[in-house]
Amino acid sequence: MADFLSAYSIQNWLESCPQGYLEGTEFGHQPGESEPELLAQNKILHEEALRTTVQLVVGERCALAASSGLINAAPDEASKRFLATQTLDEARHVEIFTQRLYDLGVARRDLESVIKQYANHNLVKFAGVLLEKVDKKDFVAGVVGQNIVLEGMAFTVFEMMHALNEQMNPKFAHVLSGTIADERRHVGFGENRIGSLIKEFPGKRPEIERMQKEMSYYMLATFADAFRNNPAAAEFDKLQQPQAHAKWQGVDLAEMPPEQMESVLADTVLKEFKVRLGRIGIEYQTPARP
Amino acid sequence: MKSKESGSAAVEVHDLDPQEFLEQVHSFEFWFEAVEGYLSGLTFGFRPDTVDITLPDLDRDRLITVLCNYCVGETAALEGASGLIAIAPNRMAKIFLSTQVVDEGRHLEVLLHRLRMLGVADPEAEMERRANRSLQLFKRRLLELVSSKDWEAAIFAQNVILEALEFTVFQNHARDADPITREVLLGIVKDERRHIGFGENELGRRLKTAPHIRARLGQVKKELDHLVLDTLEETMKELNVDAGEREKLGRSYLEAAARLGLQP
Repeated sequence: MADFLSAYSIQNWLESCPQGYLEGTEFGHQPGESEPELLAQNKILHEEALRTTVQLVVGERCALAASSGLINAAPDEASKRFLATQTLDEARHVEIFTQRLYDLGVARRDLESVIKQYANHNLVKFAGVLLEKVDKKDFVAGVVGQNIVLEGMAFTVFEMMHALNEQMNPKFAHVLSGTIADERRHVGFGENRIGSLIKEFPGKRPEIERMQKEMSYYMLATFADAFRNNPAAAEFDKLQQPQAHAKWQGVDLAEMPPEQMESVLADTVLKEFKVRLGRIGIEYQTPARP
Repeated sequence: MKSKESGSAAVEVHDLDPQEFLEQVHSFEFWFEAVEGYLSGLTFGFRPDTVDITLPDLDRDRLITVLCNYCVGETAALEGASGLIAIAPNRMAKIFLSTQVVDEGRHLEVLLHRLRMLGVADPEAEMERRANRSLQLFKRRLLELVSSKDWEAAIFAQNVILEALEFTVFQNHARDADPITREVLLGIVKDERRHIGFGENELGRRLKTAPHIRARLGQVKKELDHLVLDTLEETMKELNVDAGEREKLGRSYLEAAARLGLQP
């Protein structure tokens, strides 16, 4: 375990993250990059950009609360130190997505009310299930909920959003690529560290499986709310705005109706959950479909 | 997180309005620019070309005891700072505390690494064995304050008392330490300065608007002072610091609380 955890040291983190792929960036993007004019001009697209970014802030605030809360529950020093780097990663994500809200024109004094207005209630429930485990200082369930379920979801969602924005909004795509690199590290830690703890505490399996099923349901409900009745695609059609091809998971997202995109995203995340949970000895539970 | 080569104009933080000032100085961006200067090129807190000298057995053993206790203090700081994020009153404080969490994690890591360099095979077990009782009691009390969600008392214990203790001890120890330990400690001291600044700023603003908090903090200070002064005394004895100097260091620690208007 010691050798594996040494790969997650703060020294490695300093070299690979702030002194590596974040070097020279400003709130996660290249200096001088800005949001596309279209987002400022079009009311519907602007509101959808706000709504999407608020969900990212809500998710990252949850991740910040969870990773910091798990430090005191961690059974060894090396895990505490890895979670310290994860805590700062999550705080950085909160900061850069909050900054995006400011860049989209949200006044600082209105930040909390905008978040309250647009936060998806299913995402809030998703966070609630995880934070309940963290509050109880349940390290094993907390890390599975945080580093496998939440981070696994974030990783896939960010990858999809990155593909969609790579050509249309390079600033946002750059912000996402840094967070994707962070999430990859977090998921890796979860899989590596928790496998051994699950073996040590096999009695925890049923409770963790229930948590995964519940969190997965709220995740799917959040996706459903985000994609169904989303006016952005129709607005792009109305504007006859040329959409750049966005290849992801073998499909072209630019040619898909939102419902199909929802289905591709949900299937990708759930497939990843199944594989990752299998690796740590947890049996994936199929959630109800909203 | 601009690189030094980016050439972007630096913002003079003291020209900003108070809210914007806090947004700036509590941000990840600000943290990175601050640490980049003094951590760049270091491995586990020291320059790779710094020569490690062989210490006489007794000095080595005393240094191990001292470093083990520093690790106990840094573990307390790591657990305290991470627990404080949940009760921080706003996003900016949460983000600042996240930078503090990683600072404290780094301190623990570089000190454990130094212990391994000194031949300690299992530093965590050694920490348990050599931990000072007063410091352990301090750690327990700090974490109780954090668990009870008493923001002012916990931030006072963590970012004023504990950080001031570490700052005083590490700065003094660095003066006569071997080259590697000195570099490690001076890097830590630079972080502690930022943490103390946050604690004093946060509490200073609160004390102005809610002076009744002062009595509660005075009570916490009274309760923790003897644990801190005991720890200081023990550590300085291990470092062969004479009685006069020990008393001076005790006063220097007490001055941190006095800056907030809490008298010794």
